[in-house]
Amino acid sequence: MVEHKAQPAGLSGGFWTVTAILTALSIAAIVFWSIFPLEKYLPAAIITARQVDLLFRFMAASGSALWIFVAGYLLYFSIAFRARATDPPDAIGLQVHDNHKLEFWWTVIPALFVVLLSIVSVRIWYQVMLEPENGIVVQAIGHQFYFSFRYPQINGEVTDEMHLPRDVPVTLNLTSADVIHGFWVPAMRLKNDTVPGLVTTIKFTPIRDGRYPIICTQFCGVLHSEMDKQYLVIEEKPAFDAWFKKWQEKNAHASNALPSAGGGAVALQGGNASAGKALFAQKCSACHKVAPFSQTLVGPGLAGVLHDPSHPNLVNNQPATPQNVAGILQNGFTGSMGTMPNATANGLSRQDIANLVAFLDSLK
Amino acid sequence: MSVAAVHPGGIADHIHPEPQGFVRRYVFSLDHKIIGIQYIITAFVFFMLSGLLAEVIRTQLLNPNGGFVSSDTYNEVYSVHGSAMVWLVIIPLLTGGFGNLVFPLQIGARDVAFPWLNMLSFWIFPVSGLMLFASFLMGAPTAGWMEYPPVSLQGAAGTSMWCAAIFLVGVSSTMTGINFVVTILKMRAPGMTFTRMPLFCWGQFATAPLLMIATTALAAALAALFIEREFGVPFYDPTKGGSPVMWQHMFWFYSHPAVYIMILPAFGIISEVLPTFSRKPIFGYKLIAFSSMAIALAGFMVWAHHMFTSGLAPFLQLPFMILTFVIGVPTGIKIFSWTATLFGGKIHFSTAMLFALGFIGLFTLGGITGIFLAAIPFDLHVHGTYFIVAHLHYVLVGGSLMGVFAGMYYWFPKMSGRLLNETLGKWHFWLFFLGFNGTFIPMHWLGMLGMPREVATYDPQFAFWNRFESVASYLMAFSILLFFVNVLWSIRNGKRSGPNPWGGRTLEWQIPSPPHYYNFKHIPTVYGLPYDFAQPLPYKGLDEELTDSPPAVAAGAH
Repeated sequence: MVEHKAQPAGLSGGFWTVTAILTALSIAAIVFWSIFPLEKYLPAAIITARQVDLLFRFMAASGSALWIFVAGYLLYFSIAFRARATDPPDAIGLQVHDNHKLEFWWTVIPALFVVLLSIVSVRIWYQVMLEPENGIVVQAIGHQFYFSFRYPQINGEVTDEMHLPRDVPVTLNLTSADVIHGFWVPAMRLKNDTVPGLVTTIKFTPIRDGRYPIICTQFCGVLHSEMDKQYLVIEEKPAFDAWFKKWQEKNAHASNALPSAGGGAVALQGGNASAGKALFAQKCSACHKVAPFSQTLVGPGLAGVLHDPSHPNLVNNQPATPQNVAGILQNGFTGSMGTMPNATANGLSRQDIANLVAFLDSLK
Repeated sequence: MSVAAVHPGGIADHIHPEPQGFVRRYVFSLDHKIIGIQYIITAFVFFMLSGLLAEVIRTQLLNPNGGFVSSDTYNEVYSVHGSAMVWLVIIPLLTGGFGNLVFPLQIGARDVAFPWLNMLSFWIFPVSGLMLFASFLMGAPTAGWMEYPPVSLQGAAGTSMWCAAIFLVGVSSTMTGINFVVTILKMRAPGMTFTRMPLFCWGQFATAPLLMIATTALAAALAALFIEREFGVPFYDPTKGGSPVMWQHMFWFYSHPAVYIMILPAFGIISEVLPTFSRKPIFGYKLIAFSSMAIALAGFMVWAHHMFTSGLAPFLQLPFMILTFVIGVPTGIKIFSWTATLFGGKIHFSTAMLFALGFIGLFTLGGITGIFLAAIPFDLHVHGTYFIVAHLHYVLVGGSLMGVFAGMYYWFPKMSGRLLNETLGKWHFWLFFLGFNGTFIPMHWLGMLGMPREVATYDPQFAFWNRFESVASYLMAFSILLFFVNVLWSIRNGKRSGPNPWGGRTLEWQIPSPPHYYNFKHIPTVYGLPYDFAQPLPYKGLDEELTDSPPAVAAGAH
């Protein structure tokens, strides 16, 4: 090819005009996302929903600004540097290979932005994770194709709506009786999967009365689409108490059996502590010491699990009762320390569980 | 017998006798170009089928109560749509298809390192594709392309067929990966150092190890799922001691790198098209090349960002979030470099260029929403919703598929010796661009407002935007119909292209279209990067390529 004189380098006045326009557009986008009334379209039912919205506003504003610059320059360069009919057919563009200064800055600025975004995300995530856990404990269980709910002091399961009192912290333990479901309340900006054999926990504090749909977000079978018909009802304490009392009476004689994935509640009467001790050495001691709670190996020390006044609750925030310990042995649990396998994974029979609970009960 | 030139890797240069007969030439061919075209044709057939499935999905969603097909059929349809688009369309098009067709030419090789392996890996692909579609006959899988157990353990018999089909296509991918790695390492023309290699080759070189390594994790997961379904060995069923979350780890250990398998070669295509039609060197060659490798490497370390709601221990989630943010940096470098490539160019708006420009705009949007999704608190809101559907289609359609179309308009002359019709091509681009955005933009807010994915019916409050999307999706389908018409018409009637219709400077444009089965009469020697438009071509030994003289190495010479 014939040598050509490259056209002169330098940024024309057009470039700076366009840059000014794109800057204005970006600022407009940032203002837009800062004031956009998100809650008009989707109410914020819990405290942290607003934090998640804040994170979204931050990302949407910076993302829009970035996109406006990329797409704007793309469009401007395409128009400004188009080949014209008057150009010779073999005309070539500016022969620039790189510009180390430019490349340095467009590596460093995004990298700094990543640091900023990480800090913002982690802070908001901590707020979501570290909600208080001194309130009501509820369990939600996924079924094909509905959710059921368990409350302390209500026998059996509540199967239509999930009611919660406003302004009381909630610890929600999620598990499943069959396949994986997703427990999502869009108004809470929060979800978690309900996994058979695991108990996962989300914590939140309701702040707004209302009736909010609960939606399944993991495909769970042929009627998955129908799993959006149940509601979370947040209401004043008196209304909640009335609802609660109604279910207490209605379920007065219901069985407290655990979900079917765990195989029903274990009868603890026949537990043998010495058999449990041998079993503990064999099955549990790889992860748990017979020592105070704080002596963590993989899981916590279990010496005082049922009788330590400084730890009235188990890791799943349920009160430390023999039946609840049996529940963890049966269904497993995932928390901040990792995963406690369920009874099938550990190869524990129902009698084994009864023996282990008797042994743990014997440790004072 | 003439003295054979020796490649830098020490492999003797020789030409096999030209295959005779239709079957050896075009069916069981060993020629990388024919195999590439076979991949492209087969993948486009599957593309048509799974595109039709996509229109079944959109037609069902015209109404909140569905009613076009039953829920069960609908679940089968979107599961096969997703699986086929990923494993039978995008991956084969970008690796087996364009990879085979183009990169051996670009590095100045006569073929890939293992032609028989190449033929084998191609022929496994249509077989596994037919198996996947045949699963409809026995009850197709219904749990989406991810097939999470335990629900996939309950799926109809076709779910096992799905496992077998995806396992096989994975075997095919793995073999292609090995073949490409060896070819690029050992068969570059003299002087074709890594820092002179065209960026499409860099894209393939970053992708091939992913194909080799990641696919094995998927194969193991699929084998376990198959064994559990057919023989009852409990890998995943929690009631028998299995772990359903293990599937998710193994699946995403493959499927996240697979995202890069589906985008890095498209990055490569864009990096070829942009300089050619801007008449400018690509901006920041080295950073583009190395950022591909960085993305490929980091791609192995972020899989659990698909699992923030799966019940992982919280402290395990944190590094996955931050590493995913970090991937945004090399990706951003590429986007900025492409945009800067346009600056001061002489831009020719061919259809290939339009698709490349569209790619940058739409992929950037998909990349930005990807950053949103990596932020755990926001992911806990939109995971499993239509927001994810929007994000993944911006990356895979706005990104990968636009890259495929750019590649088709760019290299069709090299395949056929004829140009695709540019007028039809521009209609294709603009209708596709409008239809695509109309279909997928509203999904962002539908997902945020509460529409979960994989549903056959939905809350009536979302009816308006779903109808809007469905109508836009018909426009997109129509534009793709124009593309097929264009290909079928141009293959017989298109304008003859000559060897180098676009003024391309990489090696494949310096030889006839279509090339001889042995590619190069003389293996050229390379002296520099291909993108210096002001300089003479950096190759020696190409003088006879466009003449009638016979190849320097006699056929059959060893």
